[in-house]
Amino acid sequence: MYFKSPFFKFLTLGALVLVLNSCSDDTTEPVPSQPFDKGLFIINAGNFGDNNGSITFFEPTLKMISYDIFQTQNTRSLAGGARDYVEVDGKGLIPVDNMTPGKDLVEIVTAGTFKSVGTIPSTEVENPRYVAKAGANKAYVSCWDTFNEDYSYKPGYLVVVDLVTNKVTKKIVVEKGAEKLLVSGSEVIVGSVGGDKTITFINTQTDAPARSVEVGINPDLIGIDANGKLWLYAGGELVKFNLSSKTVESRIKIVSPVAGKSAGNFAMSKDKQTVFYVNSFYDPADGYKLKGETYSFGVNDATVLAIKPFINRLFTGLGVDPSTGILYAGFTPSYKQAGYVIRYQPNGTLIDSLKAEIAPSGFFFK
Amino acid sequence: MAGICLLSVRAVAAEKYDSTVAFTLSVGSDTLNPEKVRQLEEVRVHGFSPDRFMVGLKVQRIDSALLSAYQFQTLADFLQYQSPVAFKSYGSGQLASIAFRGTSASHTAVLWNGININSPTVGQTDFSTIPLLGFDKMAIQYGSAASCVGTDAVGGSLLLHSEPDWKQHGLNFTAGIQYGSFDNYNGRVGLRFVRNTQKGIQLSGKTLLYGSRFNNHFKETERSNGKQTYPMEPSETRQMGLVQDLYLKQKNGDYVSFHLWLTDNNLTIQPDVIQFLERTQTSASRFLLNYQWGNTNFKTAFVRDIIDYGKADFLTPSHSQTDRYIARAEHELLFKKTFVPGQTNLKIGGEFVHYVALVDGYSINAIEENRGDAFVLLRQTFSSRLTASINLRQALSSKYKVPFTPSFGFEYLVISKTDKKLKWSGNIARSYRLPTLNERYWAVLGNPDIRPENGFNKELGLNLEQNLSEKLSGNLGVNAYHNLIDDWTYWNPDKGYRVENLQQVLAKGAEFSLGIKYQHGHLSSGLTSQYAYNHTSQQRVYDAYAVDIVGKQLIYVPLHTLTNNAFVRWKNWFLNVQGLYYSERYITFDHSGRPFPPYFLLNTLLSTSLKLGKVQGQVNLQANNLTDTVYPSVKKNAMPGRNFNIGLVLNF
Repeated sequence: MYFKSPFFKFLTLGALVLVLNSCSDDTTEPVPSQPFDKGLFIINAGNFGDNNGSITFFEPTLKMISYDIFQTQNTRSLAGGARDYVEVDGKGLIPVDNMTPGKDLVEIVTAGTFKSVGTIPSTEVENPRYVAKAGANKAYVSCWDTFNEDYSYKPGYLVVVDLVTNKVTKKIVVEKGAEKLLVSGSEVIVGSVGGDKTITFINTQTDAPARSVEVGINPDLIGIDANGKLWLYAGGELVKFNLSSKTVESRIKIVSPVAGKSAGNFAMSKDKQTVFYVNSFYDPADGYKLKGETYSFGVNDATVLAIKPFINRLFTGLGVDPSTGILYAGFTPSYKQAGYVIRYQPNGTLIDSLKAEIAPSGFFFK
Repeated sequence: MAGICLLSVRAVAAEKYDSTVAFTLSVGSDTLNPEKVRQLEEVRVHGFSPDRFMVGLKVQRIDSALLSAYQFQTLADFLQYQSPVAFKSYGSGQLASIAFRGTSASHTAVLWNGININSPTVGQTDFSTIPLLGFDKMAIQYGSAASCVGTDAVGGSLLLHSEPDWKQHGLNFTAGIQYGSFDNYNGRVGLRFVRNTQKGIQLSGKTLLYGSRFNNHFKETERSNGKQTYPMEPSETRQMGLVQDLYLKQKNGDYVSFHLWLTDNNLTIQPDVIQFLERTQTSASRFLLNYQWGNTNFKTAFVRDIIDYGKADFLTPSHSQTDRYIARAEHELLFKKTFVPGQTNLKIGGEFVHYVALVDGYSINAIEENRGDAFVLLRQTFSSRLTASINLRQALSSKYKVPFTPSFGFEYLVISKTDKKLKWSGNIARSYRLPTLNERYWAVLGNPDIRPENGFNKELGLNLEQNLSEKLSGNLGVNAYHNLIDDWTYWNPDKGYRVENLQQVLAKGAEFSLGIKYQHGHLSSGLTSQYAYNHTSQQRVYDAYAVDIVGKQLIYVPLHTLTNNAFVRWKNWFLNVQGLYYSERYITFDHSGRPFPPYFLLNTLLSTSLKLGKVQGQVNLQANNLTDTVYPSVKKNAMPGRNFNIGLVLNF
């Protein structure tokens, strides 16, 4: 019942910036020169039909929260759901998914101020999903494109964004339902959700697909571990992938006492030795209530057991602060009310929680 | 006492065509004294006004001149300026759903000639698809009237009626066209006739064909007021409809009427780019045969609703078709004592509805379901000052238990002078909403065991009418209500959006109304102003995070609503100014984030009539959103800015 924790008593409605805890002994703390220089960006997906995705900024040292920072800095909201936020050479990119086809866009802001400096219009991006840095002043944005009439996926694509001009310079066709992107040296790896079984490696020098490798259906990219191995979840199992030989090294089924669970919301620990994930299912015995817990496994484990939860809770997004190792977990009570972000020590000890916005699902740390 | 004595009434067989049926009553010990034998007469009930038994409830009749002046509008655009109801609009020409007294969109019954026309799949009406041309009269009933109306009348009901104008003899043609900003236009052609035969039989009919096309060619791609910018959404709406009414009335008042209303609506979002295009095509076919025989009324109706929704080239849209076969019988008795004031109206009736639904999203291919209603409505006028009613209704279903819904209402004239009347009224009523077909049958997410929602409404009102002078009259009203709705259904995201009877909602508030009328020679003017305070909140804690929600105003329901109409009529000129104010509306259950800001809208209508030989014409000039207010739709797109319409209607 952490919502009863003293932390919540600090929360007041309507205030955009809240100072949490007593700051009397924090006077030596340097004041950031720009409002969003250092801290955590919480990506709140929003409720799809309401077009109300948002970005919350959290400064963990001062424990300052700023809500809907795009709106406060630009007198307009993100006109759609928000899935990702990534910064590339001083600029931030937010893919915005409006419920009306043809109204999607990518907002480009100055990283420290969140002031809009450009938009990639709807004519260039449709159902934009994730962003990755693809070189100096260059970003890739994965897009699903529109759906076919029967809601099946069309081939996805990446748009290449030149962040000097804030324009799209190229479109690269990839798997259906192009989703997460992962940078690996001079390559960007593309995951997908549209039914394809391959991951594609894009050469960031040529902006062309270098190769595609079959790994299993709907590959969800997890990250690159301390041993330099790529982890992904494809075809309902964990896949350890050798990036040098571009081959699957091993496949591990997650062992769970409850059948029908699926894993998602992966995040890697600071030392890249541990993977956190949420294993969830709709429980037919309890009115199909979505149930699940958060588990972890070591990257050198030969078997993965989802039996004893790391945290006995269900989350809509996990993220690890690369400097402190603190685990940030997004909780969504419903898509019509503000969610919470709950913070845990790397060992799973609860630190505190903070109120975010609708459906906190992703995090960007800097 | 007279009401109780009626139980011993012995009906005397009445002549079929005698409009007055006599009953003789022997009253207990009085039988011995022939002078004290009282006569009760069952009198012909004239004009089936739907609200006869809604004693103690607020019923607002819309002026037919106003309906005519705004004839090219949809109910969504018109109603929000007449009544402090809140609309949730998805954009110009797009879905508009109602929140009546803070309740949900499925808590307003929409009755067309007494038949509920809410869509059985979603349990509500899209008010953007109901043009004012579809009916002749309208009344707005506030509060729960389930005992009179049936399902859905939890927050209120809208009573739409077709009515012939018996005084307008002969054949009249009408044609009208309206053109407005954004390349939006409207048109209609029709005829009306009234014929009297030599046998005293009267015939009347109305045929009306209407259509509109909203191209919404907005000049801007976004609208901003400096504080907030909203994008414009490209959309196009086409509507067509046919209204056919036929009446055959006998000398004694018995009549048969036939009503047909076909509507076809086509909404396209992103009409210019085929790959983005999203189309919703809805059509309704409504047939009603109404037979009035003495004080007995039979209705049979067939209503078919079709919704097709698809993307891109619209080759394989998802399809939904629901048919309703409706039969209703009602008999009304009116008893009146000859020498004593007061009368008793008693109506008994029953309704049977057979549903057939073919919906792509349902787990079962063709759904068939029967629903029934039985009701007894009793209205007692005790004196010229006091009237009360007790109404009972039991809806029946083989599939689930429906709550018994009684109601009690009273109206008492505290002051009853020729120039001043003060009415005190009250009503206490149970209400219900039957589960929609989607709630019961939607594959996986629907729940066949879902219970009907049930409400308990209590209200009190005071209404003062006063003639201040020969030229000036006014009225002042206040109504307060408390409506607790339980088993409120919720598509629960926590359970993958499966529907359940989760919430309990309390809607409470007060409405204030003011009306002033001034008439002097060729000049008349008036003002109607209505303010509503509406607090509606979730009451039940159903999970740990509901504490963030409980007691907070429901989403999209403004706490304060103000609507105004002010008119001046001078000779053949008519000027009407409309104003609307909505206070801020939350879009999240817990009020987090940025609510939709408050807004004010101002519209004007200037109309004049002219005569060219036999042709009587009317020119309308409408200016809407005069202040160019920037306000969002539910989808956070900009609603249209200042816009103008010019209309011409010819009658001959």
